[in-house]
Amino acid sequence: MKLPTPLITLLAGVVVALALFGGSALLARPSARPAPASVTPSATASAYATASGSAAPSTPAAPSASADAAAAAKVTAVWAGRTDGGAATIAISVKNGVAVAYVCDGKREIWLQGTAEAGQLSLTGAKGATLTGTFGGGKASGRVTSGSTTYTFTAPAVTKPSGLYRATAQVRNAKVVLGTIVLPDGYQVGVLTRDDVPATAPPMDPETGAVTVDGVTLTATYVDGELS
Amino acid sequence: MTSSALPTSPKAAAALLIPVLIGSAVAVSLGFYGSLHDATRISLSVPGFSNLIWVKVWLATVAALLAVVQLVTARLMWRPTSGSWVAPLHRWSGRLAFLFTLPVMVHCLYSIGFSTFDLRSLAHSVLGCVFFGAFTVKMLILPKRDLPGWVLPVVGGIVFTVLVALWGTSSAYMFATEGVRL
Repeated sequence: MKLPTPLITLLAGVVVALALFGGSALLARPSARPAPASVTPSATASAYATASGSAAPSTPAAPSASADAAAAAKVTAVWAGRTDGGAATIAISVKNGVAVAYVCDGKREIWLQGTAEAGQLSLTGAKGATLTGTFGGGKASGRVTSGSTTYTFTAPAVTKPSGLYRATAQVRNAKVVLGTIVLPDGYQVGVLTRDDVPATAPPMDPETGAVTVDGVTLTATYVDGELS
Repeated sequence: MTSSALPTSPKAAAALLIPVLIGSAVAVSLGFYGSLHDATRISLSVPGFSNLIWVKVWLATVAALLAVVQLVTARLMWRPTSGSWVAPLHRWSGRLAFLFTLPVMVHCLYSIGFSTFDLRSLAHSVLGCVFFGAFTVKMLILPKRDLPGWVLPVVGGIVFTVLVALWGTSSAYMFATEGVRL
């Protein structure tokens, strides 16, 4: 019996899709992932050398040398930027290899803690949230997964006042946690949770970190790698 | 629409029902896979493109343009006189469009998964599953000769509309937010 051509089209599609799934599975194997050095473009390596603090050498160097230096030293750096597609904003603060990351879209937020060592980011957060990625050459890139939500990102190194701010306090018998990201272009986004109920954060003065919450002024501190 | 246009004979109803059930199963299966499979980031750099997302943006754009060819050639085929080139162009532009959607679908499902983050990503996830279900229905009913005349245009129209909506919730969104680039 001769198959109708539309059926052949469908079956061919199934075969192509399965081959692509197979190829994706091969690519996703850890051995197939590129080393951190290979993902650092040379153009940004020296441009961000000062921005990423002690993580990068002070003199312009070849990208591989820069990434090797970043991998060897205890990393201290801040990366911040929008996630791919612009749905959310991410900031990662690292001090001596201890990392804190914050992802937020003004409505929901994810706090993560972990390590930044040897060019690899590895952080976890509440409810099974994970952040994995690589860094070097003045930027960090990777993937954040929380529940069914996944963000991919590539964020440049930034310096204060750009970066991540956090405040915790008791305000009117509610436990208040504020997270706010400031980007180099002045864009600010944050979430304020009152007893774990998230809402858009009120604007923060990036100079002083002052935020007024329910009539009370809090001072958000610049997060440099460890949550207090 | 008059009642005589509806598939009244049991045979015609079955000819439509079975493909619709299979197409629904395809859509639901894709949705389940996208929800249950752990999103696994794959790293693959394609020369000329800044990242895989932009490869997908352009693959989807080509598919959407081919879908417009589909719409035009489908309209031409329903005229009493149409060139002998119309039917082959319709078939091959359709096959090509389908081929272009496959890598996008696989990356969406394997690397990202079913997303309910916001209305755009939710709509895109649902439409993505519906598209491959609707396309399956279209392919399965194409060889059937005993269906009422309105069925193919309606199903084809659904496939076209869903694909354009998919493009609108992904590629057009990227062009609008990030600019037109590779």
